[in-house]
Amino acid sequence: MTDLLNRISNTDCTKLCHRVVDGLCGREPPRRADYSATWSLQEWLQLLDFLTALFRLAVGSNISDEEVLAKLSDVNSSHADAVLSVLRARQQDIRCALLDRTNNISSATLQDFDWQLKLALSSDKISSLNTPLLGLSLDVRENGALRPVTMEMSTEELSTLISSLEAANKMVLQLK
Amino acid sequence: MEEVDKILIHALRQVGTEVAEEVDSLKQFSSELIVEAVVRCVRVIESGLGGALPTSLPPGMSARFRVGMSLAQACQDVGYKGEIGYQTFLYSNEPEIRSLLMFLVEKLPRERAEASDQSAGKSAVLQRAIAAALRAQLAASWVPPNCRLPLHWETQSQGALHSLHVQPLSFPLCSKASDRKHLKDVKDYHRDVLPPVTAQTSGHASTAASILERHASELSAAQEWDNEWKSQGLLSRLTPQEYCSRKLTRLRKRIEEQLRSAAAPSSESAFAVSRSTSELSELLQTFRGSAPSNHVLTKGSHFTHTQKFSFTQETAAAAALSPVLAGRHSEGDVQLRQEEELASLQQQFQQLCSDVDQLTADMKHLNVTNAQVLDELKQRELGNAEDDEKMQVKKKTVDLLPDAENNLLKLQSLVEGGAKRVVNLAAQWEKHRAPLIDEYRRLKEICSNKDLESNRKLSEIKSLHEKIRVSTEEAKKKEETHKQLVTELESLPKDVSRSAYTQRILEIVSNIKKQKEEITKILSDTKELQKEINNLTGKLDRTFAVTDELVFKDAKKDESVRKSYKYLAALHENCNQLIQTIEDTGTILREIRDLEEQIETENGNKTVSNLERILDDYKAIRQENSALAAKIREG
Repeated sequence: MTDLLNRISNTDCTKLCHRVVDGLCGREPPRRADYSATWSLQEWLQLLDFLTALFRLAVGSNISDEEVLAKLSDVNSSHADAVLSVLRARQQDIRCALLDRTNNISSATLQDFDWQLKLALSSDKISSLNTPLLGLSLDVRENGALRPVTMEMSTEELSTLISSLEAANKMVLQLK
Repeated sequence: MEEVDKILIHALRQVGTEVAEEVDSLKQFSSELIVEAVVRCVRVIESGLGGALPTSLPPGMSARFRVGMSLAQACQDVGYKGEIGYQTFLYSNEPEIRSLLMFLVEKLPRERAEASDQSAGKSAVLQRAIAAALRAQLAASWVPPNCRLPLHWETQSQGALHSLHVQPLSFPLCSKASDRKHLKDVKDYHRDVLPPVTAQTSGHASTAASILERHASELSAAQEWDNEWKSQGLLSRLTPQEYCSRKLTRLRKRIEEQLRSAAAPSSESAFAVSRSTSELSELLQTFRGSAPSNHVLTKGSHFTHTQKFSFTQETAAAAALSPVLAGRHSEGDVQLRQEEELASLQQQFQQLCSDVDQLTADMKHLNVTNAQVLDELKQRELGNAEDDEKMQVKKKTVDLLPDAENNLLKLQSLVEGGAKRVVNLAAQWEKHRAPLIDEYRRLKEICSNKDLESNRKLSEIKSLHEKIRVSTEEAKKKEETHKQLVTELESLPKDVSRSAYTQRILEIVSNIKKQKEEITKILSDTKELQKEINNLTGKLDRTFAVTDELVFKDAKKDESVRKSYKYLAALHENCNQLIQTIEDTGTILREIRDLEEQIETENGNKTVSNLERILDDYKAIRQENSALAAKIREG
């Protein structure tokens, strides 16, 4: 299966590997459209799976260069070297990504959050209100699916939220 | 007077009057300028009053007259008590204008009150404007995106509604800590492949968010570490690296314990697929279930390995069997034979199986008996060794029995020698022990001293940290106040130099003091003169009375003396008259001087010329009136 790699040139191989690592780190993965002439869909998926698994295994289990080369035994030696150099260069990035993955082991994790401060000038009943409001939107990843959570809070509600978050943080600190 | 004029001009400029740069005293004020200044002042003092007044003089005489009269009226309404009329503005004289302008400038509202009023008003005005804009936007109807005009674009487009998404970024700087051996590869990557941060994210919208997020997380991590190091790290007395590694091992142990306790029940009940209720074990199960990530995330417990192993074996066996079976089925003609063969083979197989079972059972049994026999053997051997020892001791005692007394003595001496040696050794031990204990105590003391010292230093370091924090806060606060003060200073008007004013005031005060002194001097002089005069008049009166008496006594006796008495009386009377006259002259002279002064002031007021001008005005107005009347008659 790995001999699929031999179909592209050495520099293309390096580029592809870097893109694969980018995808692993949460950035844009390589696009199939760029390589559709070289590989069929099945081959493409196979190759991607193989490379991703290889990078993960190599960094996660910290295996030696020889073992990596052994796994790449049916690839040209120059291509194998290219893959190896990419692995060396991106070791830190992959490690960070894997650590991140391990950190997010709970059933729901916070992906992003954003807030907006608003000033309500008036309502349908009161002509001048002047109440500050905080709009908080959370992107929660639950079982792999992204679920947006949006809420609006007044000053008291916000302070309640902050105090409960601080209590949670204290618990985390105690765990450490 | 120049100072007063400067202050007045400055105040007028602030009110909004356009006073030219080269004008620096009231003498240079034209009547146009005077009218403008007064109107602006009146407008600021009372906007209702000055609203109708024009700031420039009209050309026609009667109109001018009317403007002057209304201005004078406005000034009187504001509260001006001095003499004022239309001629004050048209044919100005300096002191009148000065007193009027001084009154108006004093009446101007104070600047501070004005400023505060304005700021409160400003925010209110802003809020009102925002509310009005919002109302307008709410009132506008929604338009589908394709029909939007540029007018709607601003309020109804969704361009500003990017939701925030963060993507991890890669910087050359942060991976510097990676190990040295791959430095070349890393450098090559940074130089050739790594795109700039702006190109690393998928969309432009998330670039700034990603960078901010990255920065915030790094900052908070640094702060957390700083806090932890200051609170706990310093107390542990380790280098930062040691502290980190120790914390890491502690955490690892803890996590291992947790995982083990969570995984234990699940492995027991794993054959029944029902999973344990605890969430963590569920999570562990999911890790086991996901094949590609399995070898990365968990190394796999012993249980999973065995499970996997058994599964793969079974599947392999099944795979091996299936082609053979298929082959047999394909040959139709020899089916019967094969079935027979199969039956016999199966029988054979079953027999073999039972044989194997029996044999294994036998083997097990044998194994057990073998173990039992081995145990017995060991026990026997042990018993033998014990018996041997006992026998040897008994043998020795039997050997010693014939010469019992001698041997007893020998034994006693041996025991004594042993006791002595023990005592000797104890003494020697004591000898060695004492210095060692001393040394131990000394070292202990040193240790505790060092402990104390380090504790002290730790507390010092802590207090220093605290101080640093406090002083940085203070510095920040002071910087802020400095900034605020600087902005305040900048916002203050610069053209009024306070020091000049105070200097001038001080000069004036000292002048007044000097004048006061002079006045008191003159007053005391006059008092002295008065006193002298009183003295002299008293003396004169007394002398006159004495002389009068003497002469009057003699006058009864002598005729000539009577004559001289008459002369004396006449002299006294004449002198009194003379004095009266002199006093009268003095008062008249004073009156003359007063009058002269009045004449001078009147002359300064240019009354005559003003009167002439007023007469001229009167004539002009009459002319205008007659012209108008003629026009009316013609019309």
